[in-house]
Amino acid sequence: MLMIQQLSIAATQRYNFPHRNIETALPTRFIELSIHSLKHINDVPFQLNQHLFQYKGNLQEWMEFEPREIQSFPLKPKTQETVVTAVDTSWVKIGETRTGVLLAIRGANVWREAKKFRYLRFGPLIFHISEENKESLLGSMKEVHSKFPRTHECRVPSSFWQIPMRLTYVFERSLQFMLSENMSNSIILFDGSLTSSMVEGPSQSMKQVLSVARKGHNVVLALSKATTLRFDGCLITEIPTENWTPCLFKINGLEPRPPLEFLGHVYVARLARGGYSFRLDIDKEVPISHGIEATERLLGNDLFSQNYPETLRLAHILCTFTANEIIGMQHYVTHKYNMRISTKPDIHRLLFGVFGKGED
Amino acid sequence: MKIYRKESDVLHILSSRDESAEIGDYLLVKDTDSGKEMIVQVIDTQFANVPGLLEELLRSLPDGSEIVRGNDFDPLEIAPHVTYIQDSNMLRCKIRASLGKRGLSPSGSWLPSRSRSTIEKLPISSLVKIAEMNGKLPIIVGSIKDNTVLTIDASSLDGKLNIIAGKKETGKSHLSKLLMLCLLQYGATAVVFDLNGEYVSLGLTSDGKRTASHNRIHVLTPSQNFKVALGNLHLNVLLNILVHALRLPGTSTREFRRIWRSLKEKGILTLRDLGDSIRCWNCNHHVRDALSSRYHALVNSGFFTDNVAEGVLFEEILLRTRQGGGIIVVKLRDTSSADRQIVVEYVLGKLVELLTSWRLKAVFLFAEEAHIYLRETYWDDIVTRMRHFGIFTTFITNQPDTIRENIYRQADNIFLLNFTNEHDLEAVSRASSVDAETVKSIARELPPRHCLLLGRAVRDFPIVVRVRSLDIKTMGETRLFFTDTN
Repeated sequence: MLMIQQLSIAATQRYNFPHRNIETALPTRFIELSIHSLKHINDVPFQLNQHLFQYKGNLQEWMEFEPREIQSFPLKPKTQETVVTAVDTSWVKIGETRTGVLLAIRGANVWREAKKFRYLRFGPLIFHISEENKESLLGSMKEVHSKFPRTHECRVPSSFWQIPMRLTYVFERSLQFMLSENMSNSIILFDGSLTSSMVEGPSQSMKQVLSVARKGHNVVLALSKATTLRFDGCLITEIPTENWTPCLFKINGLEPRPPLEFLGHVYVARLARGGYSFRLDIDKEVPISHGIEATERLLGNDLFSQNYPETLRLAHILCTFTANEIIGMQHYVTHKYNMRISTKPDIHRLLFGVFGKGED
Repeated sequence: MKIYRKESDVLHILSSRDESAEIGDYLLVKDTDSGKEMIVQVIDTQFANVPGLLEELLRSLPDGSEIVRGNDFDPLEIAPHVTYIQDSNMLRCKIRASLGKRGLSPSGSWLPSRSRSTIEKLPISSLVKIAEMNGKLPIIVGSIKDNTVLTIDASSLDGKLNIIAGKKETGKSHLSKLLMLCLLQYGATAVVFDLNGEYVSLGLTSDGKRTASHNRIHVLTPSQNFKVALGNLHLNVLLNILVHALRLPGTSTREFRRIWRSLKEKGILTLRDLGDSIRCWNCNHHVRDALSSRYHALVNSGFFTDNVAEGVLFEEILLRTRQGGGIIVVKLRDTSSADRQIVVEYVLGKLVELLTSWRLKAVFLFAEEAHIYLRETYWDDIVTRMRHFGIFTTFITNQPDTIRENIYRQADNIFLLNFTNEHDLEAVSRASSVDAETVKSIARELPPRHCLLLGRAVRDFPIVVRVRSLDIKTMGETRLFFTDTN
């Protein structure tokens, strides 16, 4: 008789930190979801990924708008001691089974306090997503965090590939919530924008995260490396200015198409001479002056490389997967779940050879 | 372990840290489908070129002055799997032989299956059995990694040219003593040119007691207990000394031959009469001066005597060793450079004389730092011509570049102790029985008293062995100034 391995789900670990007591419990439900999604893959053939690709937890905006004006706010770095924190997540497809895909998710919380960086990294969590379990997986997501609102329904996305993205968003919200709840009087940096997205659905979770952050007198700043927003036909991050001093340009009059919703004021941030400009979203519920002042405190308390805060850069570096880690995870699933690696021909390569322009 | 690729006679094997092998270890690649097995030896271990590793290491590097500290919450415990991949090794292995239905063959020309082959460690003890290294005359050289004893067959040294090389204080002399004493056990005759007086106590234990073979070990000190009566000397031996050691020109050699024959006919072959004859001989005065200077060199060496009773019959000692064997230690320690050459020429000449007349079967000659006393032309002579007469030489050196390349090429066995100098390793790696890569990679890592055996004795399977200790009085220790203060 074939016995399915009994999976033990241990209580989530907690960590003690030297400087800050952060509630770091990752929702047990999330780990359960990962383990349960994997328990049916025992002894099945496993096709290694021919084109390893990795996604950041960034969302694509589909919106139309017509900004009316740009308002500039010069910045003066404020050295008043403030803890700068950042959250980022990443996911990667590690292989395919006959019925679905295997993906891994990882997130990192980084903070800079007393000029020292510290981090907490969560994951990787591996999920097996198939047509059979995608609905139950998404259904379970709304219960992933006890403090998240449960009012909305998680719609099953039309595209299979939106499921990993949504999974990642729930995971990212979880980490963001964790920071927002545990930090006080700090600056919290998110990667991306403060827009509720199509992928995420009309979730209230971002509002919840921002609300919790505000309660702790934190200010949430979201930085986008890429944006589709344009002003006078030009990407807002490429608007020419003569002013080189640290400055924020507020883009007024943006109207997202429903059901999208901007939860922040949109700015273009030029935080140092040279380097790049970024889209910066500051929590809408925070008074503009507070938002500007928080950016000034960010300038005085974080390091900047090419105008990008180091704390957020570290969060990004820590959560992305290296090729070695992907091999390690493939090794994990083959050993833990007795998956057999099978090699299918790479049709893309077979058809187009060196002329093929695939995902890689 | 998995086969990664094969390049010429090098097999690259991917292995995890747990199953990793060390340099010098043997692996058995089994291809069950073809029914063949391949014996390979690890010559280098490297980290496997895992993609993304550099990125990962950079991530963990300190940023500025301090490393970024943090905690990882890894509920699925994937980190050990990542570490496992990170620490995986690539073993560069040299193909040594193949095992098939027809037994062992040195060929490695077939390609084992990459997916179906299994790879396992091959203990040296099993290799010894497979390669049939154990003969009827075992010499226990020492122990291998798993503490089992390694023996070689004494007959693998018989009729062979051997080289013992290693930097100073790595145990060259110790190993040569071991080989010598083992050969003695089997009744062999050995002659050693002892440059530093290290072999004079071969017959004594470490606490000064006589060993069982004490009576078969003869220490000859030139000018002291080793003198030659001119009357017992063959003309050819003396001419060799004059020509090669004392560089007597051809014309003068002819005149000397005449003088010698004249004295022999008269039956007055003494040093004094030889001197008188040279002085009175009717010849060109340049020739007379040349002969006169060589004569005085012979006299001053103290090696020759007119007193027949004082003269040691080297021949007799050698012939005595025919029963039960013996070791003749020719102590050259306190002998001048010119006198050393005279003694060596005499000994070699005498050996050839006895061997050519079949009065002696064969001799194992141990020559330490031979470049100091051996003339250029003798090198080739020893390894080619004299080998056929029955002189089987073992060169012992800490300067491998002093031994010519053609000697290495003809060496049958090489006992290699530690060398770190690239130049020295390069010189030794010219030996035909082994590839340069093996020598360079293994010899560099050898700890003291460990020896890499190459050649016939180990059936061309290089093996590292810890040379066993001997209970004999050590004489090769360097004299120190600060011994009392320590």
